[in-house]
Amino acid sequence: MTGRVIVITSGKGGVGKTTTSANIGTALAKSGAKVVLIDTDIGLRNLDLLLGLENRIVYTLVDVVEERCKLKQALVKDKKNPNLCLLAAAQTRDKTAVTAEQLKEICEELQEDYDFILVDCPAGIEHGFQTAISGASEAIVVTTPEMSAVRDADRIIGLLEAKEEIKSYKLLINRVRPNLIKANDMMSVDDVVDILSCNLIGIIPEDTGIITSTNRGEPIVNDENSMAGKAYKNVALRIQGEEVPFLDIDEPHGFIDKIKKFFKIKAKA
Amino acid sequence: MKDIFTNLYNKVIGFFQAEKGDSSKVIASNRLKLVLMHDRTNLDTLTMQKMREQLIKVISRYIEIDQEALDLNLEGEGDAIALMLNIPVIRARTLEEIEAIEKAEEEELAQKAAKDAEEQEDAEGSSDESEETEKNTKDSDESGNAEESVISEEEANTEENLQNEETNETEKQKVKKK
Repeated sequence: MTGRVIVITSGKGGVGKTTTSANIGTALAKSGAKVVLIDTDIGLRNLDLLLGLENRIVYTLVDVVEERCKLKQALVKDKKNPNLCLLAAAQTRDKTAVTAEQLKEICEELQEDYDFILVDCPAGIEHGFQTAISGASEAIVVTTPEMSAVRDADRIIGLLEAKEEIKSYKLLINRVRPNLIKANDMMSVDDVVDILSCNLIGIIPEDTGIITSTNRGEPIVNDENSMAGKAYKNVALRIQGEEVPFLDIDEPHGFIDKIKKFFKIKAKA
Repeated sequence: MKDIFTNLYNKVIGFFQAEKGDSSKVIASNRLKLVLMHDRTNLDTLTMQKMREQLIKVISRYIEIDQEALDLNLEGEGDAIALMLNIPVIRARTLEEIEAIEKAEEEELAQKAAKDAEEQEDAEGSSDESEETEKNTKDSDESGNAEESVISEEEANTEENLQNEETNETEKQKVKKK
């Protein structure tokens, strides 16, 4: 078995790389694939928090590289899904603790046993970014419909194009707010795709559920009623080669959304 | 007009969630406090586990404690960090018991020392092979430890839940009495 190594990157911080990694990883594992998530944000690790695994980490990526433990010992199994593992970043070191070569070796070793290796990349374009993309052959570029995020995504796409090993890269537009787009106050998905001229793999609507799911340490794909959760599930399906139409984010879903819509109609009247 | 409704809506929702007490913001701040404590002190899970085991050993020499309910945590207020140890005591040991335990420990130490001495002699006698086997046993020891710590943590989690349930029950009883 040769697993696919996909790096999730963005350039700009705070656009949702880690949330995206956690959710796509969980969705892929739920569909039966064997998945490893690697947090390469050494010194600023957070993927463990989003998965609710912060109390279970014994060894980290740096421990594996410095041979204090075997690779398998450092893989932390998810609470719910045995198909999902996390290789956490060390919190007490910095990005220079792992080199591109070392991460590449780890990815190659994991490819033998797992279907997907998702690498959560740190923000920026320096050492940490270069290390994170070293083992990958595919990339997902996360951006939001904001000027600074799109500009940084463009820079990242340029760097990915220059890298021979990256065979394909796709765009994921996060935190889309249909109301603002309708009012012409936010760039639409088409605008962003036009500017970046890059293939799309997902559109994730802004969802307050992300905040509560992060609070609980449970990825939002586990919530059947969430719009963002559904959108992430669709991304996972597209990664596995299925053709899924993009979600119609205008329609309110769930009970609370319907109440909100009801109030909005009343307010207008 | 819209704002009034959103406000009202948030207040109503907030009222019901506050009643529950397990709102996600409480969970979040508790989780974050714990993680930050560990980050700031550089104490990882493995070290805490070791410390816990050692503390149990020393304390149970003198007091019979509920080992499973022992709660060891880092807590902080502002800049100060405190190590909080919460131990449910079952009963104090008698003087004779303490002496007996101390004696047993001394014997154990003596036996260990004797064994070590023997092993050293053996090692000196034989060739590199013994070193290799030693390494192997060390490796397996390490993996064993890692597994143990994970398991015991899970146990600890379930214990916490149990404890919570117990406290809930006692609270209910209080209410009934009233």
